[in-house]
Amino acid sequence: MEERLRRTMMFVPGNNAGMVKDAGIYGADSIMFDLEDSVSMSEKDAARMLVYEALQTQDYGDSELVVRVNGLDTPYFKNDVYAMVKAGIEVVRLPKVESAQMMLDLVKVVEEAEKKFGREPGSTHVMAAIESAKGVLNAPEIAASTDRMIGLALSAEDYTTDMKTHRYPDGAELEFARNMILHAARAAGIAAFDTVFTNMNDVEGFQRETEHIHELGFDGKSLVNPRQIDWVNKVYEPTKKEIENALDVEAAIEEAHQKGSGVISMNGQMVDRPVVLRAQRVIRLAKASNLINEEGEYIEK
Amino acid sequence: MQVRESNIHIKRNFAKWQAFLKKTGITEFSPKETQQVERTFVWEADGEIMATGSIAGRVLKYIAVCSKVKGHGETFNQLVSKLVSEAATMGRFHLFVFTKPQYVQSFGFVGFHALAVVDDGAIMESGTPDVHDYIQDLPHFADQDDSQIAGIVMNANPFTNGHRYLVEQASKENDHVYVFVVSQEASLFTASERYQLVQAGCADLDNVTVVPGGDYMVSYATFPAYFLKDDQNVAHFQAALDATLFKEQIAAPLNITRRYVGSEPFSPTTDIYNQELTRVLPPEVEVKVLDRAANADQDVISATKVRAAIANDELAVVQKYVPQTTRSFIQNHWSDLRARIKEGSLE
Amino acid sequence: MEIKKTALAGTLESSDIQITLSKGDNGINIDLDSSVEELYGDQIRTVITETLHAYGIDNANVKAVDKGALDCVVKARTMAAAQRALETTDQPDWEVF
Repeated sequence: MEERLRRTMMFVPGNNAGMVKDAGIYGADSIMFDLEDSVSMSEKDAARMLVYEALQTQDYGDSELVVRVNGLDTPYFKNDVYAMVKAGIEVVRLPKVESAQMMLDLVKVVEEAEKKFGREPGSTHVMAAIESAKGVLNAPEIAASTDRMIGLALSAEDYTTDMKTHRYPDGAELEFARNMILHAARAAGIAAFDTVFTNMNDVEGFQRETEHIHELGFDGKSLVNPRQIDWVNKVYEPTKKEIENALDVEAAIEEAHQKGSGVISMNGQMVDRPVVLRAQRVIRLAKASNLINEEGEYIEK
Repeated sequence: MQVRESNIHIKRNFAKWQAFLKKTGITEFSPKETQQVERTFVWEADGEIMATGSIAGRVLKYIAVCSKVKGHGETFNQLVSKLVSEAATMGRFHLFVFTKPQYVQSFGFVGFHALAVVDDGAIMESGTPDVHDYIQDLPHFADQDDSQIAGIVMNANPFTNGHRYLVEQASKENDHVYVFVVSQEASLFTASERYQLVQAGCADLDNVTVVPGGDYMVSYATFPAYFLKDDQNVAHFQAALDATLFKEQIAAPLNITRRYVGSEPFSPTTDIYNQELTRVLPPEVEVKVLDRAANADQDVISATKVRAAIANDELAVVQKYVPQTTRSFIQNHWSDLRARIKEGSLE
Repeated sequence: MEIKKTALAGTLESSDIQITLSKGDNGINIDLDSSVEELYGDQIRTVITETLHAYGIDNANVKAVDKGALDCVVKARTMAAAQRALETTDQPDWEVF
């Protein structure tokens, strides 16, 4: 599966016409249309139709399009999945996942829908939101449950309730879950998304938390407000040194290609795979932050 | 801002809600007004109420947005929208709002149409069926535009000889007469009973058409006035609103150019009402105030006396005031009516 | 298809449209309230009418309060109102989707 940047996954309440319409203009790496918690029971049908119609007609640029459907045990689940698959959604996010079986149950309905609506089999990806102790402990099997998996996301609100605690500024209550989810995701080769930060007035707290999850190795963070996108991107911006180093690696790869050599070397040392992967990721990040020009050179800001 | 439902019948919630509304200039919180409130929604930021609105029957009430809120208009729209959607889930698609004249435009932006606007306030409606549907569904006459048409509004609780006298006079002096029977359920006799008794009592008058008053012939005493200042004259305001609504929404499209009312020398409220009718309706609609019909010995006929006689178990007294049609209904339902009186304080 | 009950969908927030659908007996009658009536009124009416026809609804009274909705929003809200009015919310009509 092609690796892509997933620094920011912006939540968009599925029944809010204005926000659904404008979701594409903020430059989020992923847009997550929500049919679940942000939509009241009496509006589930209307939100599903609104997101469906918007996906048919609106231009969301390069953003990866994700939809959070209602849980497996709700009467809305099947219709949500059917409608979103018909609309050609890229990723279906299942909430409150506690086992690999739940992902398989989702995949079964996704397969049905792909068949029913003539979508290419396997084209719809899935991801799991982990919101409980059980989900955290089963994260490895969930992450590896299906080829369609693209990521795991931590959802702290329900998780902290399950753990009989709540959110604290230092994030100690999430440390185990974050590491567990991150390891499960990395072991399975998929993305890891951190939870939302809801207090829009605490910019400093948001900054601190984002730096922390960046340091741990998360791909990115779920967001509730488009203003947070720039803040996250800033944290994920590579340094000049990192970029220049990555450009050197890229040049070495190019050189090896031209020589027809299978061995990439730089400064007299062999460049191994992790270094290449990291360099590629840094360049993707640098391009996304507009830090590399068309000639492939670092731009001084 | 987060929206949530708040139960204002819990003291602590009520106090917070009331304190917010008071800051926005709403001062009337008598139990009569607040008890009707079924559902209340509040928009909060950091635990502080920033906006609120309530549903009471088919009326949206106690709507206010804090002036400090950014995007004041958008919040107002969101609030009204939430109330309208919630009312729809309760099966209510036709809603009313009573408000100050300066907010008529704001409600206009969210689909409300003014039924009547007077100096101190306005009544607006939204949804379906609306006043145009109501008018359209009434019987019309081929010669409507060229006829002399009169209108009478009555609660008829129950239909008496006094009502009959009023209808008869109108029938004699006009080509057509619409008799609007108040549809509200707040009387000893139910709306359908009152309507049937008026119909039965006027059946012999060919040019009289009895129709239900629907939502537009509201008994004037029920117009809420909670947004008025204490010193404003509530009775005058309510009567003026009712008279204006009748003139603009009912009389004009039906070509009603006369309205008949009975004089009420003993009730100051009704006197105010008649004063307002006389002030508001002319020149388009002429107001005919007829002296109340009386039996011998100046025994003025009134529905109040009929209800008192039922309460006192005096069938003979009832007979003095009502036509045969009403009398036989009362006779047949004697014990039932007496039971209703005992059960509640129905008037 | 017969409308079984009056139904409302959509909101009065900006970029949205609120649609109220009730029984009618004389084709599709649309009472549209929009600040862009002159420019887009016909377009909005066409989307509403076509969507209702797709559900087989040929007689209905429609009240629409538009707050600047795009066509896709007009369609989505009409769909929601239609399925609610037909009492088929739990069985989406995939032909119309």
